[in-house]
Amino acid sequence: MTQTIAPPQPAPVPVPSVVTPKRRGALSRTPGRMRLAGVVAVLASLAVGVLGVQAGLAQSKALASADADTRQLVGIQDVRNDLVVADATATNAFLVGGLEPPAQRAKYDAAIASAANGLARLAGSNQSDAELLGKATAGLTTYTGLVEQARANNRQGFPVGAAYLDQASTVLRSDVLPELDTLVKTNSDRVDSSFAAVTETPWLLALGLIALVAFVVVQTWLARHTHRRLNSGLFWATVVALVASVAGAVVLGTTATNASQVQTGSYADTVAVSKAYSLANDAKSMESFTLIKRGSGQAYEKTFQAETAEARTLLAGVDQSLVTSLDAWTAKHADIRALDDAGKWDEAVALAISTDPGSPNAAFDAFSTAASDSLQASASATKQALSGAGSAAVLVGWLILVAGLLAAVLSWRGISKRVEEYR
Amino acid sequence: MRRTLLGLGWVLAVTVLALSACDPSTTPEPQATASPSPTAAPAAPAVVCDDVTTSYAPDAGLATTTPTVAAIKARGSLIVGVSADTLLMGSRNPLSGQIEGFDIDVLHLISAAIFDGDPNRLQFRVITSGQRLDVLKNHEVDLVARTFTMNCARWQDIAFSAEYLHAGQKVLVTRDSPATGIDDLAGKRVCAPEATTTLDGLKKNHPDITAVSAPTHTQCLVLFQEGQVDGITGDDTVLAGFAAQDPYAKVVGDAFSSEPYGVGVAKDQVDLVRFVNAVLDQAKADGTWAAMYNRWLHALGAAPVPPASVYGRIPAS
Repeated sequence: MTQTIAPPQPAPVPVPSVVTPKRRGALSRTPGRMRLAGVVAVLASLAVGVLGVQAGLAQSKALASADADTRQLVGIQDVRNDLVVADATATNAFLVGGLEPPAQRAKYDAAIASAANGLARLAGSNQSDAELLGKATAGLTTYTGLVEQARANNRQGFPVGAAYLDQASTVLRSDVLPELDTLVKTNSDRVDSSFAAVTETPWLLALGLIALVAFVVVQTWLARHTHRRLNSGLFWATVVALVASVAGAVVLGTTATNASQVQTGSYADTVAVSKAYSLANDAKSMESFTLIKRGSGQAYEKTFQAETAEARTLLAGVDQSLVTSLDAWTAKHADIRALDDAGKWDEAVALAISTDPGSPNAAFDAFSTAASDSLQASASATKQALSGAGSAAVLVGWLILVAGLLAAVLSWRGISKRVEEYR
Repeated sequence: MRRTLLGLGWVLAVTVLALSACDPSTTPEPQATASPSPTAAPAAPAVVCDDVTTSYAPDAGLATTTPTVAAIKARGSLIVGVSADTLLMGSRNPLSGQIEGFDIDVLHLISAAIFDGDPNRLQFRVITSGQRLDVLKNHEVDLVARTFTMNCARWQDIAFSAEYLHAGQKVLVTRDSPATGIDDLAGKRVCAPEATTTLDGLKKNHPDITAVSAPTHTQCLVLFQEGQVDGITGDDTVLAGFAAQDPYAKVVGDAFSSEPYGVGVAKDQVDLVRFVNAVLDQAKADGTWAAMYNRWLHALGAAPVPPASVYGRIPAS
């Protein structure tokens, strides 16, 4: 419609360039310029919509991966805990002698079964962890084999059983737990970057400000050329885009704040308590080994002290009652050590394997129960906070897109009215 | 007082060293001969002497008035370094939880002699072969009875009682092995515990055999049962205990070394050595020794004549 071939047309604005004379010619007239302004306004509206839906979907995706990674992390820690529980039980049962108590055998079996299930499930839920989990599974197979051999020999009264148990614990600590620790590290990094993404996405909406600036420029230009103060179409388009952007930023920002609270709250608690629980169980194995080694176990006792101190620090940041519970157990441990150090090894062992109320084992069980309860509560709080939040972000994203489309229609109509006047 | 402080300092210093030795993660992984472990180093230089089995004569008889013995009696317990996994010599019976064996019975005799007939005043400290010298040098234990071969190098650091058992090194192989002695195992992997005369002898006399070391002799049995080594070499006393735990293992060949066992005592406690010798002489003479041998080592045959006690060593100071 701009087929103006007539060459001697005096242009109102001099055209310095000859590269696009036709377009320049068309745009040099007011209706053409208005159409261009309309296109700018429509693009600005669409930009707001697209940015909104992008931000909403991105945040939802980040929340979903934070949720999945958190679950994977907690799952790996659960498996690690199962394994140290199994090892602590096996070594403690070994102190009893050839005929291990059925309850302890059952506890060991349950922990191993739970760990094996966990490893299979975790390998399925995240492909990138599968390789290390495979190695851990292979190590677990070796471990259980050695424990069974230790048992069989022990049952016949052969001292080589102790050597097998020793080797089993070595395999667990050299082939299985390090793999899981690596996975805990990578998953915790993943969780951190997912949480970072959740908090960053609302800033995408800030780009919408550029669109709003475009609206203002277009309207100012239009007002100057049409001598009308306000173009209602453009005005409402601006309002819709502004409200959608601000409301979207508020909703996504709130979600981000909530996510940070989860990260520093229930998620951090889960990680800390889980680690402390694992340390305490490992320390429990060390207690048994100190007695099994009978006088040459100072290294194990040193590890015990270091591990319980670390567990204590971790728990102190979460729940003071868990610290009290841990302290109650380590006090009982001190009784065992006092007996052993005084040369009363038999009495020390009797105390270490007792399951009476008030015994070290009872104190440890009380701590285990408290820690597991706390762990379950914080893990499910994290899960709940993360799994629900994503849908709100998605909804807000789509609503902003709708608002953007609406603003586009409004602004085009507003401009079209002015263009009509030139016909 | 000064000695106690000095002793404490030593204990602290070497506990740190010992800690690294008995780390929970001591993997019984095969170590090639090429990498000599630091613990094996002290035994390496061949110290020559012709009085290996010569100990201090039991001048005072069974009197418990000499300083060291009196101190032990006052303490109320005899602290002893033993093995808890060497079946027949010193091992923990998983059924009773008690440590028992030939070495342990020797210690019971000494306990009974110090504590007016009570054989059970023993405070056990389970140690590895590699810890035997250190726990004595640091006065962490009073006695070590743990298949402890008397040799010239060890006499430099500690003292021994008179010989109480004569062992000889043999080799254990699988039941179906055609080997009839250590010489048939050229090119094979043979296990021996770290810091023992056994391992040193294996490396020196049989360079064509791949020597594999493990923290304890029993860890060698684990490696053997897992198929990681083809044989285990060690004293016939220890190998008899292994064969008793594994029906698919057999001890072959004649003894190719002479291993006189003595009770290890700190070098500066000559009075305790003399006391232990008095106890041993009595047991050898009155048939107690033969009864102990028949109880634990009948797999090696009928009780031989007890090793003769040789005396005449003069304290260095």
